[in-house]
Amino acid sequence: MSAVLLIAIKEVKQRILNRSFIVMLFLVPTMILSMVYFLVKAADEGKKNVHVLIADPGNILQGVISSKDASNVNYSFVSDYLEIEEFKIGKRYQEYDVLLEVNEKVLNNKKVFVFHRDFLSNNIQGSIRYTFERRVEEVLISEFSDLSIDEFRQLKQPLNVDFRSIDNPTNSSSNKAGWVGYFFGMVIMLVTLFYGLSILRGIAREKADRVVEVVVSIVRPYQLMLGKIIGIGTAAIIQIGFWVLFVFLGLYALQDILFSDFFIDASLTASQVSEGANEILQSEFNRIRNNEMIHLIYDRIDLALMLPFFFVFFLATYLFYGALFSLIGAAMGSEGDGQLFILPTVFLVLFTIIAGYFMLNNPESQLFVYGQFIPFTLPMFVMIKLSMGYAVGSGYLIWISLLIMIFSIILMLWIAGRIFKVSLLSYGHRLTLRGLFKWFLSK
Amino acid sequence: MIEIAHVSKSFRPKVALSNVSFNIKKGTITGLLGPNGAGKTTLIRLMNLMIIPDDGFIKFEGQLLKENHLKEIGYLPEERGLYKELSVKQQLLFFAKLRGLTSEEAERGALYWIERLEMSEWSHKKTESLSKGMAQKVQFAVAVVHDPKFLILDEPFTGFDPVNIDLIKQLLFEFRDAGKTILLSTHNMQRVQDICSHIILVNKGQLIANDAINDLLDKFERKHFMVAYRGTSIGFANALWTDFELLEQTERSDGVVEAHLLKRGAKSVDDLINNLKGHVSIESIQRAPINMEEVFLKLIANTTEI
Repeated sequence: MSAVLLIAIKEVKQRILNRSFIVMLFLVPTMILSMVYFLVKAADEGKKNVHVLIADPGNILQGVISSKDASNVNYSFVSDYLEIEEFKIGKRYQEYDVLLEVNEKVLNNKKVFVFHRDFLSNNIQGSIRYTFERRVEEVLISEFSDLSIDEFRQLKQPLNVDFRSIDNPTNSSSNKAGWVGYFFGMVIMLVTLFYGLSILRGIAREKADRVVEVVVSIVRPYQLMLGKIIGIGTAAIIQIGFWVLFVFLGLYALQDILFSDFFIDASLTASQVSEGANEILQSEFNRIRNNEMIHLIYDRIDLALMLPFFFVFFLATYLFYGALFSLIGAAMGSEGDGQLFILPTVFLVLFTIIAGYFMLNNPESQLFVYGQFIPFTLPMFVMIKLSMGYAVGSGYLIWISLLIMIFSIILMLWIAGRIFKVSLLSYGHRLTLRGLFKWFLSK
Repeated sequence: MIEIAHVSKSFRPKVALSNVSFNIKKGTITGLLGPNGAGKTTLIRLMNLMIIPDDGFIKFEGQLLKENHLKEIGYLPEERGLYKELSVKQQLLFFAKLRGLTSEEAERGALYWIERLEMSEWSHKKTESLSKGMAQKVQFAVAVVHDPKFLILDEPFTGFDPVNIDLIKQLLFEFRDAGKTILLSTHNMQRVQDICSHIILVNKGQLIANDAINDLLDKFERKHFMVAYRGTSIGFANALWTDFELLEQTERSDGVVEAHLLKRGAKSVDDLINNLKGHVSIESIQRAPINMEEVFLKLIANTTEI
């Protein structure tokens, strides 16, 4: 078995058999799932079944809205005005959770007020809003037009004025799509930073423990460096892979609870579907539920393209920064040394993340033009651009970025290897740029 | 076995080794001596291919030293280093495999040394929980687990109690008798005298001595004399002329003076007796017994005396 592989296996074993690694393996996805669950549930808190009193002095909706419209909302009517204070404290109104005030002029001013005692869930609010809008619409159609309901709803679709670039007439790019790329880029940079620092600490510790003296008497320093980078990287991939799998499985298992309204038509009531406007109704419901992000992730982003590039650029970035961090770790005179180099490297990673955010809002900026060719920043920029979509005829730029990255990895590994082999056996000094340069020139 | 030829190495601006050449014979225990900063560690690292010489070359069994020879070399560094999170057995298995042994060979080697160094009871323990002496044993086992032909030991007795020192000494003799070659770097001159058959002495990056220990001691003993006499010290000093140097003298309670002399040039004991006749009354003349520590100090202090 090659020395690099042996060292890599030792690194993987050392990490995955560590108790904290195993704890983190389950803790992180559990925390993510719990967070998602509680966030969704927090937004959907409130009463599940409500009793709505419609104050309808003009008898406009009497007989039009009924409790059949929604299984979890009961409607009752009072053909008079009702003061809020009276509704609030009146004994006979305590059984009602919501007061829906229908002004006599509602058909003209199209405005109603809904007063509630307790916080209403998104689901209930959506149901009341939907039912009321539909029924008022039907009254309007019958009173002011000869159109059928379906014809009216076709006409009712708002005109959509969509601004599009002539370079991207299909509008495959948008800031919102860029967020997905930003997320991918951020994962790459943060994971690289986390595990890069792990490489640095590992090498610095072994150097301080003097075990490197024994190891490099057996294997070449670059083999030790590669073994460490590959081993820690493999442990990272195992950990992240498990997290992703666990989170996806968790989300899949919880989708009935979390996202039932987004995906399952059965959640619509029979009366809503029977109206023959399922398509419009679905889009209406989607609008109400504000599910643009889910729509973006599932429909608009080409994950089949994004994921392979994410994987390639993740590996490339990890190797590039891994070599840089291993170089710093080897060159440190003691475990506490090297802040002069660690901080700028960490800032570089953080700068890339911030620059990515800037790019989201200014996708055509000069920052991107140059940033996509600089190995320190290009993983983030390429991911964002990839999710937004490269303009027609400029797709080759991603391959140039990739080539630059590959060339940079080779260069960085070479530089790191040269410095690594000399600096690894030097102790008690303070790490300086001059020292690094001297080691680089050493035989 | 090992040939170092015209090897130089500098870490700018410091010259660590300058044109050093020597041979280490197969089946010998050779002491590598020198004061701190003399270039011993640089030499050891060169022999492990941890660094590359600026000039010169190193041969292993007649071939230029290459990476494939490293599996035939065992190394115990002065600064002990083990993976703290690995158990004793895991440690031995890892380093044995890293030296190129198969899993079966590594297992066999690890078990043999665990047994031989009486580590069975705690072979499952992590290294970080071991005492210094225990860790020293593990470090020694790591150096020999792959049954190397050439063993480089840098201060191998540090941290051991007398019982274990004796055990390690016996093991070194066993290795030597089995035809293995050992390079022992230490500052303990008595141990060098006890164990080594040859020494290599370096100072300020230069080779000072490369001899069999007995030859070296002989050289020094032949030049040093202890003379017991009665008479005046002025008369004694005048009688020596420039042929012998008076290093020190002490007067005993019975009035006899003991003088330590160093011979210069090609003068003999007869010349000394002739010089002293008529100046002092000679009680006795004998060669001064000398040990490695004195040899070491004298060689370092004045290398031109040999």
